[in-house]
Amino acid sequence: MESKKKLWRGFAIFMAVMLVMTFVSRIVYVNRLPRVHWANPTAASITNKLTAEVTVELVNSEAVTGMEGLLVKRVCVAAGEQIDAGTVLYEIDTEDLQVQLAGLEAEEQVWQDQVSAQRGEAEREMVRAQEDYDTTVAELDRKIADETRLLEDAMEDLDTHMFRLPKEDAPDEVWIAWADERKRIDREIEERKLAIEEAGFEKEKVLKEAGREIEDAKSAQNEVEGAYSSSYSAIGQVQARQNKIESWKGILEDGGRITAEQEGTVLEVMLQSGVRMGTEAVMRYANADSSRIFRTIITQEQKSMVHTGDTVKLSFPGSSEEVGETIDSIVQENGSYTVTIWLEPAVAVGRTEGIMELTSTSEIYDFVVPRQAVHNDGGNCVYVLEEKKGILGTELSITSMTVRLLDENEDNAAIADELLTSDMKIVTQSSKELSNGTAVMEY
Amino acid sequence: MGVVQIIPGKIENRKKKKKKNAWLATVICFLTAFIICLPLLMIPGGAFADSSEIRQMLSPVLGESGGYADWHMLPFYPTIEHFHRLLVGSPAFYKLFWNTVGMTAAILAGQLIVGLPSAWAFAAFTFKGRDFLFGLYVVLMLLPFQVMLLPQYIVLQQLDLYGSPLSVILPAVFSTFPVFIMYRGFTQIDSEILEAARLDGAGEMQIFLYIGLPLGRMGIHAAMVLSFLEYWNLVEQPMAFLEEQKDWPLSLYLPQLGIDQAGFAFAVSVVVLIPALFVFALGQDALEEGITYTGTKK
Repeated sequence: MESKKKLWRGFAIFMAVMLVMTFVSRIVYVNRLPRVHWANPTAASITNKLTAEVTVELVNSEAVTGMEGLLVKRVCVAAGEQIDAGTVLYEIDTEDLQVQLAGLEAEEQVWQDQVSAQRGEAEREMVRAQEDYDTTVAELDRKIADETRLLEDAMEDLDTHMFRLPKEDAPDEVWIAWADERKRIDREIEERKLAIEEAGFEKEKVLKEAGREIEDAKSAQNEVEGAYSSSYSAIGQVQARQNKIESWKGILEDGGRITAEQEGTVLEVMLQSGVRMGTEAVMRYANADSSRIFRTIITQEQKSMVHTGDTVKLSFPGSSEEVGETIDSIVQENGSYTVTIWLEPAVAVGRTEGIMELTSTSEIYDFVVPRQAVHNDGGNCVYVLEEKKGILGTELSITSMTVRLLDENEDNAAIADELLTSDMKIVTQSSKELSNGTAVMEY
Repeated sequence: MGVVQIIPGKIENRKKKKKKNAWLATVICFLTAFIICLPLLMIPGGAFADSSEIRQMLSPVLGESGGYADWHMLPFYPTIEHFHRLLVGSPAFYKLFWNTVGMTAAILAGQLIVGLPSAWAFAAFTFKGRDFLFGLYVVLMLLPFQVMLLPQYIVLQQLDLYGSPLSVILPAVFSTFPVFIMYRGFTQIDSEILEAARLDGAGEMQIFLYIGLPLGRMGIHAAMVLSFLEYWNLVEQPMAFLEEQKDWPLSLYLPQLGIDQAGFAFAVSVVVLIPALFVFALGQDALEEGITYTGTKK
C-alpha cells in the first residue's frame, strides 16, 4: 500500500509539473511570437515628392584676366559679392608697377632702335643699287648715242663719197683710190653698227646686272621688313608689350586700381594680396546676362517620377526666392540620370546651389498599403495576416504574397495581384522578422 | 540398501536437471524479454542524443550511407536539448497532452458510468435474452475498428458529432470490452452473498454499491487500466473522426515529427510513456487479476 501511495504521489507530482510547464511553455511561446500591426489595402493615389540638391552652373561667366607680372597690393572683393560697373576689384602695387613699366619701355625702345637700324641699312643698299643702275644706263646710252652719231657720220661720208664717183675715163689710180675709200667707209659703217650692237648688248647685260643688284637690295629691304612683318609672334609680342605698356600706363594713372567693367556677382576670387599675377584668370564674375543651368543627379528609382517637361519648384538656401521651371533634359550617365534645367537670365543670380522639388500625384490605385508593408524577398511581397487552425487552436499566421509594385513613395506603395482583396490584413509593422507561416500576435 | 542408495541419487539428478532447466528457461526468458524491450531501451538513448549524432546513427536508414544503423544505447554527446525544447518550447505538446488526459479521463469516466451497471446487470441478474445480449457484446468486442469505422462515421454524422472530441469519446464510452472485463470480475462474487443480502432486506442498489463494487473492484481496476492504456495511445479513431488539430490526442503528435526531429520525438516518447508506466504500476495487480478473470468461467 505504501508503494502505491508513493506511486500515486509521483503520478500527481508528474501531472502537476506538466501543468506548470504547460503555463511556462505557453508564456515562452507567446513571448517569442512577433507582434504585428496590420492595415487593409485602400484605394488611393500615390503622391511622389522628389527633393534633390542641385548645383547652379554658369554657362558663360566673365573672367577677369590677371595683369601678368604685376604685384597685387590688395583684393577688394570676395566671392558672392555684388559689384557694379567701376567697383574696384583689386589694387596693383604702383611702385612695383612703375619699375615694371620702366623695364618694359626700355625693352620697347631697344626693339624700336634695332628695327630702325635694320630698315636704314636696307634703304641705303637700295639707293646705292638704284644709283649704280642709273649711272650704268646713262653711260651706255651715251656710248650708244656716240656710236650712232659716228655711224650717221659714216653713212654721210658714204653718201658723199658716192657722189664723188670718178668719171668712167678716170685713171685707174683714181678708181682704185675711190674704191679703197669706199671700202674704208663701208668698213667703218660696219664697225659702228657692230659697236652700236655691242653697246646694246652691253647695256642689256649691264641693265640686267644692275636690275639684279636692285632686286637684291629690295630683297634685303624686304627681309628686314619681312622679319618684322612675317612673324606673328614677334608682332604679338611687340603689340602685347605695347598694349601692356599702354594698359599699365592707364593703371598707373588710375592709381593701380582695377575696376569692374559691368555689374554682376563675384563668383570666384583666385588671387591674394602680395602675389604676382600670371596670365590666367584671377577672378570670375557673372553678370545679369549670363546663362545659368540647374543640374542635379537622380537615381534610377527617382527617374520614374521625373519626366522632361515636368514643372519643378526651385528654391535656394538662405533665400525666400522660389521659382517654377521646366525640366529641359534628362540624360543617363553611368547608371544615374542628370537632370538639367536652363534658367531664365534673371533667375538664381549669384546662386551656386539650390533645391529642386517635384510633386506628382498618380492615378488612383485599387490597393495602396504603407510602404513598409512591402518587402523584397527575391521579389516584392507583402505579408498577409490570416487565421490558421493548428494544434494550439486558431492562431494568426503570416502568408507571403508576391505582388507587383506599381508605384511608391516614402510612405505608401501601390501594389497589384490577382489574389489581392481589400479586406486582406496586410502586415505593416512587426517586432521581429517574418517569414511565410510564422505565427504572430497583434499589438 | 542398494535401492535406498539409488533413489537419493536419482532425486539428486532430477533436482540438478530441474535447476539446470530453470536456469536455461530464465536465460531464454531474459533474452526474449531483452529483444522485446530493445526498442523501448533505445528511446532514452535517443532522447538524450545530439541531433547530429542521431542523424549519423540513422544515416543508413535515411539513405545517406550504406550498411546498417548503428545505435548507441549511451549517446557519445548527451544533451538535454530535446527535453528543453519539449518542456519549455513546445506548447503544442502540452495542448495535445492535456487533450489526451481529458479524453482518456472522459472515456474512463463514461465507461464507469455506462459499463459498470451493464457489467453488474449481466453478472447479478438473470433476464430473458441476457445470453444473447452478452453474446452481442462479445461480438462487438471482437469486431476490429476498421469494420466499425463506416457505421460509426454515419452515426456520428447523423448526430452531428463528427469532428468534435465527443466523436472519439462516445464510441469509446460505449465500448463492450470493459463491460466484459468488469463482468468477469463481478462473476467472481458468490451468488450466496448476494442472496443473503437480499434476504437481509438490502435493495439492489445497496447490493451493487456495498457488495458488488467492493468485491468486483479488481475487475473494475483491470478494466480501467486496460482502457487507459488503450485510449492513451488512441490513434485510429482521432485520425478518422477529428478534423481540427487542436482536438487531437498526443498519439497523433509523434507522426507529425519528421526524421530530422528524431531526438525530439524520442523525448516526446519518454514523456508520453511516463503516465502509462504510472498507471500500469498502480494497476498491475488488478490487471493481472483481471486478465485471470477473462480466462476463468464460473
